[in-house]
Amino acid sequence: MIGRAPLVLGRKTFADITNDICAPVEGGTKRGWLSLFALTLVWAGIFFSVVGAIVCIGTGLMGISHPVGWGTMIVTFVFWIGIGHAGTLISAILFLFRQKWRTGIARAAEAMTIFAVMTAGIFPALHTGRPWLDLWLFPYPNQRGPLWINFRSPLLWDVFAVSTYFTISLVFWYIGMVPDLATLRDRAKDKVSKTIYGMLSLGWRGNNRAWSHYESTYLILAGLSTPLVLSVHSIVSFDFAVSLLPGWHTTIFPPYFVAGAIFSGFAMVVTLLTLVRTAYPQFQDYITLDHLEVMNKIIMTTGLMVGYAYASEFFIAWYSGNGYERYTFINRAFGPMSWSYWIMVSCNVLIPQLFWIKSVRRGIIPMFIISIFVNIGMWFERFVITVTSLHRDFLPGSWGMFHFTWADLGLIFGSFGMFLMLFMLFIRFLPAVSIAEIKPVMNVGKEGGGHHA
Amino acid sequence: MEHHDHETQSPDKKTSIKSTKKFWRSPQERENDPEWQKLVEREFQASPFFEGDVKESWNRRDFMKLMGASLALGSTACIRRPVQTIIPYVNRPVEVTPGIANYYASTWSEGTEGFGLLVKTREGRPIKLEGNPDHPVNAGALSARAQAQVLNLYDPERLDGPRKYNPEDPNPFRHEQHPSWAQADQEILPKLKEGGVALLTNSISSPSTKAVIGDFATVTGATHYVWDPIGYDDVASAQKAAYGTAVVPRYVLDRAKIIVSIDADFLGSFLSPTEFNRQYAAVRKPGKDMAKIVTFESVYTLTGANSDARVRIKPSQQLDVVMGLVHQISVLSGKGGGAPAYANAAQKLNIEPGLFNEIAKDLWENRGRGVVIAGGLTTRTEQGEAVHAAVNFLNSLLGNDGVSVDHGTAAFKFINGSHANLATLIEKMQAGQVKTLIIHGVNPVYQAAGGSGFEEALKKVALVLYTGDRADETGKFAKFILPDHHHLENWGDSEIQENVFSIQQPTIRPLYNTRAFQDTLLVWTAGYKGKGEKPLTWFNYLKDNWKKNRFHGAGGFDHAWVQLLKLGVLDLSSQAREKVSTPRNFSGAALKVPSPRASEGLELVLFESVLQGDGRSANNSWLQEMPDPVTKVSWGNPLLVSPGLAKKMELTNGSIVQVTVNKQSVKTPIFIQPGLHDEVVALAVGYGRTAAGEVGNGVGLNGFELASFNKGKPVFSGIQVQIENTGQFETVASMQEHTNIEGRQIVVEASLADYLKKPDAGIEKTEVFSIWNDHKYTGYRWGMAIDLNSCTGCSACIVACQAENNIPVVGKRYVIQGREMHWLRVDRYYSGDVNSPRGTFQPLPCQHCENAPCETVCPVAATNHSSEGLNDMVYNRCVGTRYCSNNCPYKVRRFNWFNYANKIPEPKNLQLNPDVTVRTRGVMEKCTFCIQRITTAKNDAKDRGDEVKDGEIKTACQQTCPTNAIMFGNINDAKSEVRQWQGDPRAFALLEELNVRPSVRYLTKVKNAKVEGTEGGHV
Repeated sequence: MIGRAPLVLGRKTFADITNDICAPVEGGTKRGWLSLFALTLVWAGIFFSVVGAIVCIGTGLMGISHPVGWGTMIVTFVFWIGIGHAGTLISAILFLFRQKWRTGIARAAEAMTIFAVMTAGIFPALHTGRPWLDLWLFPYPNQRGPLWINFRSPLLWDVFAVSTYFTISLVFWYIGMVPDLATLRDRAKDKVSKTIYGMLSLGWRGNNRAWSHYESTYLILAGLSTPLVLSVHSIVSFDFAVSLLPGWHTTIFPPYFVAGAIFSGFAMVVTLLTLVRTAYPQFQDYITLDHLEVMNKIIMTTGLMVGYAYASEFFIAWYSGNGYERYTFINRAFGPMSWSYWIMVSCNVLIPQLFWIKSVRRGIIPMFIISIFVNIGMWFERFVITVTSLHRDFLPGSWGMFHFTWADLGLIFGSFGMFLMLFMLFIRFLPAVSIAEIKPVMNVGKEGGGHHA
Repeated sequence: MEHHDHETQSPDKKTSIKSTKKFWRSPQERENDPEWQKLVEREFQASPFFEGDVKESWNRRDFMKLMGASLALGSTACIRRPVQTIIPYVNRPVEVTPGIANYYASTWSEGTEGFGLLVKTREGRPIKLEGNPDHPVNAGALSARAQAQVLNLYDPERLDGPRKYNPEDPNPFRHEQHPSWAQADQEILPKLKEGGVALLTNSISSPSTKAVIGDFATVTGATHYVWDPIGYDDVASAQKAAYGTAVVPRYVLDRAKIIVSIDADFLGSFLSPTEFNRQYAAVRKPGKDMAKIVTFESVYTLTGANSDARVRIKPSQQLDVVMGLVHQISVLSGKGGGAPAYANAAQKLNIEPGLFNEIAKDLWENRGRGVVIAGGLTTRTEQGEAVHAAVNFLNSLLGNDGVSVDHGTAAFKFINGSHANLATLIEKMQAGQVKTLIIHGVNPVYQAAGGSGFEEALKKVALVLYTGDRADETGKFAKFILPDHHHLENWGDSEIQENVFSIQQPTIRPLYNTRAFQDTLLVWTAGYKGKGEKPLTWFNYLKDNWKKNRFHGAGGFDHAWVQLLKLGVLDLSSQAREKVSTPRNFSGAALKVPSPRASEGLELVLFESVLQGDGRSANNSWLQEMPDPVTKVSWGNPLLVSPGLAKKMELTNGSIVQVTVNKQSVKTPIFIQPGLHDEVVALAVGYGRTAAGEVGNGVGLNGFELASFNKGKPVFSGIQVQIENTGQFETVASMQEHTNIEGRQIVVEASLADYLKKPDAGIEKTEVFSIWNDHKYTGYRWGMAIDLNSCTGCSACIVACQAENNIPVVGKRYVIQGREMHWLRVDRYYSGDVNSPRGTFQPLPCQHCENAPCETVCPVAATNHSSEGLNDMVYNRCVGTRYCSNNCPYKVRRFNWFNYANKIPEPKNLQLNPDVTVRTRGVMEKCTFCIQRITTAKNDAKDRGDEVKDGEIKTACQQTCPTNAIMFGNINDAKSEVRQWQGDPRAFALLEELNVRPSVRYLTKVKNAKVEGTEGGHV
């Protein structure tokens, strides 16, 4: 398929590519972008106000209580971290597999990862009851013993995993962007742009030694990022799997979470890229329908994996004979919170099946809608896991409920505000497609073939 | 200081330096460049920005001066944390050591229940109440209501002095005045002299107070009316009719092998529940001699839940029950044909005749060793008199009189209040014969039953004087409020049971400008006499009274007095209590039993709740937040409805219904209560106050108004009622919605028969293996055992824990969200017959697990295992991720969602226990096995030079438990009692299969009845 369909449409020349991709950055601030950005800024402002209220007044503003100690903050945390994994998969894993078609989408996808991780990182920091003491979660030398952290706690592993993930992804993304930033520097007309892009491009001269170092660094970073795709979300899943709660304490979680992460991540990439394509029509030549179709196929594959995981969880709960485990799953499907379970199943398992139909796979509007549903479903998957397992556990005398409050809704929807605001900034100030990577593959799929990057 | 190049010598630094060296470091040196010379002379270069002459540059001294001055000036803007001074005593009172608690013996009685107290004070203020182990009535235990009383002392809404109200004054600023005591007395005395003085109080248990009242009445000609809102005049008058003397007898349940209760909640609210709980525990030890308890009741109470057999009835069927038993027993006794009209009582009550006959047989076979009890608001039906007469007849027939119904020794002689008295008073008030009414200890505008006419009659009284502590429902009608001291601030004494005397002493100087009621009367008595004599103070009066009446003769009084203050109790009944009294003759005329009536229609039962009683402590936030022991509802009294009725009327928990009684309608939410008869709805009294204070106002519905006063023969039960579903909804704050065990082994019941065959009957054991090494305990190892068989669910432990550990109150809204902060909860599970289930109560503290799942998951290591087996919670380290709470299978951890501590209003903060941290927002907390008490005991032991003795440490919950269901101690000590309990075959660990290895064991509940298929085990 890759060989047949062209990766870059429209018979572009090198100059065309550079001009197309640099146009949104160099074209000045357009009214359209400005109004959208203002919207996301307000949206993010709402988010930060809600977060501020929670930090200043108390975690009690949210719907969590006894016994449901974790609610929307943790669910949204896992949601955003999961989304980030798709970007790294595209940038790093597909690079190692030499999938040329990744070049059109890698930059935007990796940017999405960075912003998703940034958004996600807010939640574990601020879900604590005393966030101003979060620095105690880090092992810094002190004179109180010294008093170290509890290395046995999965939350600590999270701290290391997420911070590692963020650091590596940021470095990978940035290093990959250096030649493009140099391009922008060289083309910059005003002094401010020139200085800023100049500083950011780290003195890139584009000589062969620079390219050689660039390629090897890129390869190394891709190699470092690859295991992170699998490990980070496995560690996040340990938050649940290492506990003893029925519904949490299950070995399926690491692969289940990773598959789910890729599933929701690709859905988010599809959402964003369909929007980017629509807003900047020149990008339709680089982010082609074929790219989107491949991503939709991946969405469907991982969706089937996730569906299989749901079925096997149910089966194993029954097969185990463990009364608590069985009850948890019956309660998920038929108890007072079953509405969330059925949203999850329909959005994650049933709706993506529409992608079997080619016209749906290649239709912009259908895929956009389906990707939104997938994300809704994936948010609810984490909600079902977290909340339904907690609200009815071992002793019926301790059973309770979870109720959404304005703070919860503000957090869930507001987090998108922060994410989109950052993404808007990205679109405006940084090249959304990797110039350096797409030029080598621009003849792939045309007659005569192309050489590899 | 100039630096001299040691190779150049120059006494005068201004002279040029002649360099004689052969080497040079720079051309300038070689040439002796003058510029270079300047440079050399000056060690510190001036700032390159400084253009001026070298001489004007900063020298080191100036620099230091300037820096020092800046630092000093800068720091004046920094404010240190405000310094709070702790001022040590200049002359320390001998018995006060700051940091060490002092305990004072005292007494408290509310209405008709009384307790000997040990008041724990710190630095001059009471912070916790414990039971006085030497008082024979409560023997060291306290009920939930009693534990909460300490908070009433610090109620911020107490009046701080006398008040005078002039609503007719045209100047609005003079509507409420704050006179001094002298001014108030000056105005009141002339009014007293005008005559027509009446005094309305509750039953006074204090002999000395009665003497003061007696003096007052003699001198002023006042009439003393005694009335208890929830009284026992029905019991007393039935006793009078049957046996000739009106007395509320002492029921001695531990002499009974069979106890039949007809709507008498003796474990919850009837007469002396703390004492009855202890007696219950004594006769319910599993074994062949285990007593049997049968309850016929119209409300679901603790007594019914803990019975071996429980029958749900309508209040109008109480007579059928008793007369049915009379008939059966008469037949069995061969004495006459009984009451043939009631021969088919069992069928009428819809219970198997077999069961009914068995109960009658049990009673008969245990004649002289059984008891039949009826009483409480629930028996105040229209036929209540007949019911009580029949019960007395039964007890006499069975020979229980004098044995378990003790009229002669230590009866509740002080209870002499009656509704008839109130009726008389109201009549007199209506007729204008009462010019001055003094109201003390009761709140009749709120507590008098509906239709009493008290409020209207009150308006006809010229001068109303009230001794309550605030302008409550009755206070609003008073001209003067003359606030009495709180009982912890006042002297007093009490004779709860005949010949059981106890002293009440103040444990804190009165917080406000209040005056003892007794002092008020003494002042008025002396003032009335007008001879200018100075009245005795109440304290001296009390002492004199004791000297005269108790410690006869002069010798050694002072010593005796001090001993009395130390011990708190003078029990002159002690030996007599153990003996039985002679049975009395039953006067046949008393038994005028009407013929059986049909019970048609829905009936309303008003009952006394365990926590609120007659509602006087409605402003006590601990009591409002406490879950009702049976319904687990807090902050309100929903109408209780049976599941069948709810289904029929399509009601769910919280549905609002319109209740119509006697053409009056009110709206209230409902709550579904298993065990109620389908034609009975029940409502607790003591709620629905309008002027109790911020905490209590508007909470629930006033049940007193739904009763009918009926000219002094009030009807609280069996009232005809209609209810209608309004379709509206109001959330009920219930702390435990799910009552089914879901087939898990959480509480274990066994029948007596099974237990006698195999002591560990009912327990499904799990084999667990552990991959971890055990903790090694070389010293103490703390553990606990809780006997589910003794626990009746009274929930005193919860309030005790709240008082001891500074646990905040969160309010109704957050209780609905499940955020109550109680470290200890008592879960209640129903089992057995779905229409009339048994209840098993399980107190759940932190289990202090060996393999604690909370310890592994805390990222900052804020919860750790101590070297003595406790799971420690380090509040300072907790950042509040709440993973520990998620991972706790017992869900005993509580999180501070908001800054609850900040909301504690003054002076309630004075109650806080200084030995326990007050937690801030964002911090997790949980039961610590009262580590502050453990540490204190260990320190005491260290001072003594030996080990902590078994029983020296009592956790707060253990100390207050009336049935001694909780046992705490050192399980490393082979001889400790907790070790025996844990080793008992009845012991099991909760959720054993999870291998968390809790340090708490539960002992199974044994029922003296058939228990069908214990639902434990399969997981």
